[in-house]
Amino acid sequence: MSEEIYYWQALNRVMDTEMAADDSIITLGEDVGLYGGTYRVTEGLMAKYGEWRVRDTPISENSFTGLGVGAAMLGLRPVVEIMTINFALFAIDAIINMAAKIPFMSGAQFPMPLTIRMPGGVARQLGAQHSQRLEHTLMNVPGLRMVVPATPQDAYWQLRQAIHSDDPIVFLEHELLYFSKGMVDETAVVPPIHQAMVRRPGRDMTCIAYSRMVLVALEAAEQLATEGIEMTVIDLRSLSPIDWETCVQSVQQTHHCLIVEEDCRFAGAGAELAATLQERCFYFLDRPIQRVAGLDIPTPFNGKLEAASIPRTEDILAAARRLISSAGDQS
Amino acid sequence: MKNPITMPVLSDTMQTGRLTRWNKAEGDPVKKGEAVAEVETDKAILDVEAFTDGFLGGPLADTNMDIPVRQVIGYILDQPAAAEKTGDVVSVQPTASTPPASPQPAADTVKNFENPANPAPANNHDGAASASVPPRSPTLSPTSASTTASAAGKTSPYARALAEDLGIQLQQIAPGPDGQIHASQVLAAALSAPDVDLQMGPPYQLEKPSSLRAAVARNMTATLHTPTFLISSRVALENFQKNCKSKGLSFTLALGKACALTVAEDPWFNHAWTSQGLAKRQRVDLGIAVDTGEGLITPVLRDAANRPLPELAEDWRILLGKIKKGRITPSDYQGASFYLSNLGIFPEIERFNAIVPTGAAAILAVAAAGQDGKTDFTLSCDHRVIFGADAARFLQRLGKRLEDSSWLQ
Amino acid sequence: MDKLQMSQMLRDMLRARAFEEAAAQGYAQGKIAGFLHLYPGEEAVAVGVLHAAEPGDYVVSTYREHVHALVRGVPAPEIMAELHGKKTGISKGMGGSMHLFDASRRFLGGYAIVGETYPIALGAAYAVAYRRLPEAVICFFGDGAVNQGTFHESLNMAALWKLPILFVCENNHYQIGTEIHRHSAITEVYKRACGYGIPAEKVDGMDVLSVHAAARKALERVRSGDGPQFLELETYRYRGHSMADPGSYRPSVELDAYRANDPIAAAIHEAESGYPSPEAIAAAGPDCITLFSAHCCRENHLDETGIARMRQEIQTEIDAAVRFAEASEEPDMETAWSILHANRRYETLMESPE
Repeated sequence: MSEEIYYWQALNRVMDTEMAADDSIITLGEDVGLYGGTYRVTEGLMAKYGEWRVRDTPISENSFTGLGVGAAMLGLRPVVEIMTINFALFAIDAIINMAAKIPFMSGAQFPMPLTIRMPGGVARQLGAQHSQRLEHTLMNVPGLRMVVPATPQDAYWQLRQAIHSDDPIVFLEHELLYFSKGMVDETAVVPPIHQAMVRRPGRDMTCIAYSRMVLVALEAAEQLATEGIEMTVIDLRSLSPIDWETCVQSVQQTHHCLIVEEDCRFAGAGAELAATLQERCFYFLDRPIQRVAGLDIPTPFNGKLEAASIPRTEDILAAARRLISSAGDQS
Repeated sequence: MKNPITMPVLSDTMQTGRLTRWNKAEGDPVKKGEAVAEVETDKAILDVEAFTDGFLGGPLADTNMDIPVRQVIGYILDQPAAAEKTGDVVSVQPTASTPPASPQPAADTVKNFENPANPAPANNHDGAASASVPPRSPTLSPTSASTTASAAGKTSPYARALAEDLGIQLQQIAPGPDGQIHASQVLAAALSAPDVDLQMGPPYQLEKPSSLRAAVARNMTATLHTPTFLISSRVALENFQKNCKSKGLSFTLALGKACALTVAEDPWFNHAWTSQGLAKRQRVDLGIAVDTGEGLITPVLRDAANRPLPELAEDWRILLGKIKKGRITPSDYQGASFYLSNLGIFPEIERFNAIVPTGAAAILAVAAAGQDGKTDFTLSCDHRVIFGADAARFLQRLGKRLEDSSWLQ
Repeated sequence: MDKLQMSQMLRDMLRARAFEEAAAQGYAQGKIAGFLHLYPGEEAVAVGVLHAAEPGDYVVSTYREHVHALVRGVPAPEIMAELHGKKTGISKGMGGSMHLFDASRRFLGGYAIVGETYPIALGAAYAVAYRRLPEAVICFFGDGAVNQGTFHESLNMAALWKLPILFVCENNHYQIGTEIHRHSAITEVYKRACGYGIPAEKVDGMDVLSVHAAARKALERVRSGDGPQFLELETYRYRGHSMADPGSYRPSVELDAYRANDPIAAAIHEAESGYPSPEAIAAAGPDCITLFSAHCCRENHLDETGIARMRQEIQTEIDAAVRFAEASEEPDMETAWSILHANRRYETLMESPE
């Protein structure tokens, strides 16, 4: 049943089938309608479902995201697209103060079946304002959930699950993943939305990554295998909540843990992972948990510097070798 | 400009060196190539050479401490350091980064232990005491407390938990190359023989073995996995000895030459079993065991089968001289492909057998002549390389060569 | 307007004031904590607008929303319990004074971040419009909130898509302590709506009948699909911004203007740290309640005895609400977690560990 398609196509397909099945699903955002979405995710939907269900909005992130919140309170299932996570900073109030809080502050009187889609991450020389990773901010907010699909199949599954959820879910995409290809099986058994997945098993160490970094980690794992180092690669798939069991189980078996994130190192998701995993796996660790992360610097425009500001395969390789080698440099 | 002097790496196996003395004092001028200090390694005392002109600068590392290779032990300065010759000690941490050969801090190499009449149960499984002997009073001395702290920082949590599960005391575990204890070190300790327990015996002193002795111990332990068999013959050596004497040749050297020639006839005796395969060597390098009084050393005669005896004799003289002066280097004593051990100077010894060193397939043990005038030759062989009949033929050929020593001409 | 409706409106105004008096008292006694923003002075706005609303309409309010909830029909005991942080509160003790929600009465909540009510109303109205329902969304906000970006964003979208929203500006002339001339270039708020082509009107917010009439007319247009309407209601709060605010930044001449010419009452108010006494307020002059009760009497809908009886009944109701709130249980942490996770109760988030 499976078919090889692009990441954006997987998202587009979910939007189409879900909107056809349930008229309470609407989508809105800048250029999602006539234009078809800047990354083609909403392509063809306006013609099919009309402007009330596929709404082109003015450039007013705070209010159109808030519109999604208000509509969700009345039972619609809005899928808000924020063109990039960088613009979501205007909508932080709607996301954090409204969507995440209303169900709780109201004593559970209101559902919040809101999905907020946005791509994050460093793309290709878009400059510091367009290259942000803000997952650290959003994953810290109780009441919000956040998924970070790395593959077309997960994009397909997790968007469907997000739309069906009555909780507000931040659906974090990646600009460099839209045109990555992968097999999508629409009939396969769907894993739970926040479950992490072992993408590659390996006895020597556990590498935990999410979003695009999973692909980079897998490349590194391939290379390490030729050197005799077998690295498990766990794709978190979700940053809130985090599937600790999968991570803990693996780290307890390999005794070595490497965390890879594109977000800046300081106070990022990796910090949370490292902290909790040392709490839960302390007596199983044979080396300090290591992090490979983005540098704590606004993304430089220059292409070479930009590439060097986020983890590359060779960075993961070096860290993995350090972690495993008996001369382990613990710096 | 301040150029660091580091503990030199003088052999592939050398992990630490013991600084025996400084030849120069802080502020002294030094010339490139000059020996500024002496270092005792596995088997020898070596010079630490200056690689640039300048002035010796501190802080200088303490002598008589084991220092990891590549660690800074002093400096060579462009200009003499400003006046003060401080007594500063380089901040090497011998206990921290050196694999200790014995449990106590290397700084004090000798320690007295009086076993208590009622040995207290060890109440700290994580190596809180500075040695495996229970502390005499419940309060730990400052020294032992600081040892605890540093040991605690150098053991991974998993290694610690593993050691606890396996009932291994951390202070019995030799740290890895990074100076830290990881799971692999704990597992290695678990698989190795348990440490001796001297608590119920007489009072004793712990002394750090010399580098040479420690190296021998390590090398000999490494041979445990060699499947060995022994085979003996008796050879009449009277004529051969006379012949040597008349020609002014060292008996041991001539015996060595005979062995080398015999090895050359059957190259299997020149092979070595390695994990990657059989190492077939292209010449016979003969190692001859020499008693230094301090222990054992095996100076090597390179290409002993092909080179003429007078040349070998000259080599031999030089090697013995180096041993005497403690100046022998790893290239002098490493890498033999066949070994000879002669205890013939002890007339009481009728027979003994030797251990095949790693890197060789056989070693010949030669005892003293017996009542019948014949001498016992016992050949120890690595059975992975050599079979019984080969060994028998080897002894046969060697015997003939010694009985008819016309080749000595 | 008939007699019954008038008396109901007066009753709600009196209830509102009595409720807030009780809240202030509870706060002063330390029984209510946190921020407490009180409504006295502005009752004509809430009562006038909400009496014009239908049960099918939605209400979005600010952090000064006790009275909006009360007039919308949320029982006084549940509001008072929420102010006390009790389990029996309308938001189960999770919201508090600034976050009263009542889904069954279409009360979409009190929002404590200034400028949040517009997008919520926008979304609700979008849902109503998409479903083509004859319902309106009433969006309250203060004069201080019109300088927030969401005001302009939301008015634009509401006008663009003709969403059924009645924007109600409660213009009490102050954003906390900053008077409108110091925070807005255009002090006549309703004029801003014109920038988006939204019909707007300024009405005397101290006169409940004018408010009611204007709101009814606007809501009818909203429900009929004419798009958003805008009302600016000029009013005045007697107290400071919150219980923590003595309101001393306001010149007493200004209070005087709103309280007729009784300088003594104003002086009493300034000197008091607690809630002004009913007598003080009554003595202050053209208070909206005083005005309206006088009007009711003039029109022979009510008389002094009737009003006294009404006050008596209301006091009984509010006292009972306070007793209920005080006697109620506090929520436990387990309840808090189950509330947080209520919306995911039908989902499997991840495989449960075997």
